[in-house]
Amino acid sequence: MAQGQRFVGRSVGDRVILGCVILLAVVWLTPIAWVVILSFKSNSELMMTTGSAFRLPYTLKNYSDVLATSGVFHWFLNSVIVASGVTIATLILASLAGYGFARTQFPFRNTIFILVLLGLAIPEQAVIIARHQMFTDWKMHNTYTALILPGLSNAFGVFLMTQYFRSIPRDIDEAAMLDNASRFKVFWRVLLPLTIPAQATLGIFTFLGAWNDYLWPLISATKPEMFTLTIGIASTQTNFAQSEGLGFLMAQAVFAGLPVLIVYLFFQRYIVQAVAGAAIR
Amino acid sequence: MKTLRTLLVASAALVGGATMALGADKTEISVARFFGACDADYGKVTDVSKADGECGIITAMINKFNADSPTTHVKVDIVEWPGYDQLTARIRSGEPPTISVMHESVISDYQSRGLLEPLDDGLKAVGVDTSDFTAAAKEGVTKDGKIYALPFDTHTWLWHINVNLFKKAGLVDGSGAPILPKSAAELLTQAKQFKEKTGKPYFIMVLANETAAYTRTFDTLLYQQGANFFADPTKVNFTSPEAKTALTLLKTLYDNGDTTKNEDYAATVTGFAAGEGGVMINGTWLVDNYIGESKKSGVALSDGYAVVPFPQLYANPKVWADGHSWVILKANLSDAQRKSAYEFLKFLWDNDFQWARTGHLPTSQKVITSAAFLDLPFRKALAPLSQNGTALPAGVKRQFGVQDIEGEEVGAGMRGDKDIDTALASAQDRINKLLANAK
Repeated sequence: MAQGQRFVGRSVGDRVILGCVILLAVVWLTPIAWVVILSFKSNSELMMTTGSAFRLPYTLKNYSDVLATSGVFHWFLNSVIVASGVTIATLILASLAGYGFARTQFPFRNTIFILVLLGLAIPEQAVIIARHQMFTDWKMHNTYTALILPGLSNAFGVFLMTQYFRSIPRDIDEAAMLDNASRFKVFWRVLLPLTIPAQATLGIFTFLGAWNDYLWPLISATKPEMFTLTIGIASTQTNFAQSEGLGFLMAQAVFAGLPVLIVYLFFQRYIVQAVAGAAIR
Repeated sequence: MKTLRTLLVASAALVGGATMALGADKTEISVARFFGACDADYGKVTDVSKADGECGIITAMINKFNADSPTTHVKVDIVEWPGYDQLTARIRSGEPPTISVMHESVISDYQSRGLLEPLDDGLKAVGVDTSDFTAAAKEGVTKDGKIYALPFDTHTWLWHINVNLFKKAGLVDGSGAPILPKSAAELLTQAKQFKEKTGKPYFIMVLANETAAYTRTFDTLLYQQGANFFADPTKVNFTSPEAKTALTLLKTLYDNGDTTKNEDYAATVTGFAAGEGGVMINGTWLVDNYIGESKKSGVALSDGYAVVPFPQLYANPKVWADGHSWVILKANLSDAQRKSAYEFLKFLWDNDFQWARTGHLPTSQKVITSAAFLDLPFRKALAPLSQNGTALPAGVKRQFGVQDIEGEEVGAGMRGDKDIDTALASAQDRINKLLANAK
């Protein structure tokens, strides 16, 4: 009732915006719901018609097939190690770099910052052959190091953290320094805790990027024991999965997407805060 | 009692040690393949006759090999179809699999760079009779006079027919078999009649989100007219009258509404099962699925499915074809690994019939003429494709790239996005640029 009154009390503009948001949410969620529904249907039934999606029978076989795939839990573990490794290392490096660019003076600071930003304009595909060659020379393919290292050159992370540090009033640093705090202590104890929303955003985006990464693991992790979940699951698809193995394909998509969904659910507050904050700034 | 326990422990240790030693004696080779994973259904199956589908049959075959071979263990590296980016990366990083599955149309790319072992002597040594290869298979795996792969199947372009709709259209003979066109003119007449009688298009074609289907149909029409569009393997010629005739026919079918439009691969597969049209042009790999569907009651294909090679509309009965094959990558293989690799290839060759149950055509003449194969549904009609199946000349490189460009341009011409001459010229120009850079 109270909620109904709250809605009635809104202006026409608010209601229009709310309606648009609901419409967008439906448009956004419909394909996801479709994927989930199809994942509970048998492959043979879907091959003949997807019109049966809203009719019984439903089955859990696609999910049991995903779980019965030898290697799937190993691939999951590989993805956890790689995505966590990339995320933690990125947060450390981007925070340090962001603090450096925002708060310290050193020769060619602005030039170096621009060079870092130029990294945003270079697509991965443009450097991937050279990178593959480099890791070949180092004999590092099919290792966790090879999967983690390229993810650490994160220009967006450095930019985000620099902007966030810049938005924090310098008075705070100066007050801490007047209390005899060292520069590292100011960074570690005073400023870093204030950047948690930005860290959360960067962490989530980095984790998701690393989790969903396909191209680099495809050509670096070529042994099944080193596959990440994206590569491993793709390898299990039959040649005409889009028609002959549709239910299995959808179950794979749900299985691979669940960790991402969980990360969003846990950290959505920080994402909203940070994105809203970045927009205001 | 204590002595008995000691004896039991000692025996167990002996048996365990012996087992480990036996396992350790086996030479391990890695085999990279696509076809998917189906451990849940076939992970432990060693009776190949009980497996179905590409994934099931290859999984059971390798399980059987590992169970039976006293000397070799095959470690399977499953990759996403088609897997060539990964294979190239593995070769470049110095860690190629011992054996890999490979489309025959791709062999040139790897063979020309010296990445594949010639197999003539090795196959002969283990008793694979290469003179038993079918014509299509032999052409597919032979480059510069040497055999670079063990052919595993020939897959080609078929007409999957809804006989129930053909009956409704009055296009069946006295025995109830579909009447097929013998010329382009007959095809257009039949298509018109079909639409008038059933209200549905004659064809269900993959016209969206895929280029391969356009290329396979277009190439088939060129082969049937005798067009030698790759007389020089480094240059394509699409300015011939035959090319214009082929694309004009496709455009006419499209403009007349004789085919479904804007449907992708999956939509055509379900659309055919739902009775949306009379003929679906697609590959050998769907045969068993539709046979299964036709055995159900109350569905569009109930007791009304037939499959035939792409009908001969012009002077030749040739049809586009490709094939799966197995290659040995050049690497520092030990003698034992090489021996094991050939042992595995021989096993695959010996099981050619089992693989043919997928719907693909066998590559052994003995198998394709055997009663066991010909007794499988529709295989008598399909068997001539092992002779008529035609691939691009062995010297043509980047055949997957050629296929994509050709399909894009033929599609543009068929749909009317470009006029026919422009589309053909554009296809020729783009392909020749691609081939000029192919090393």
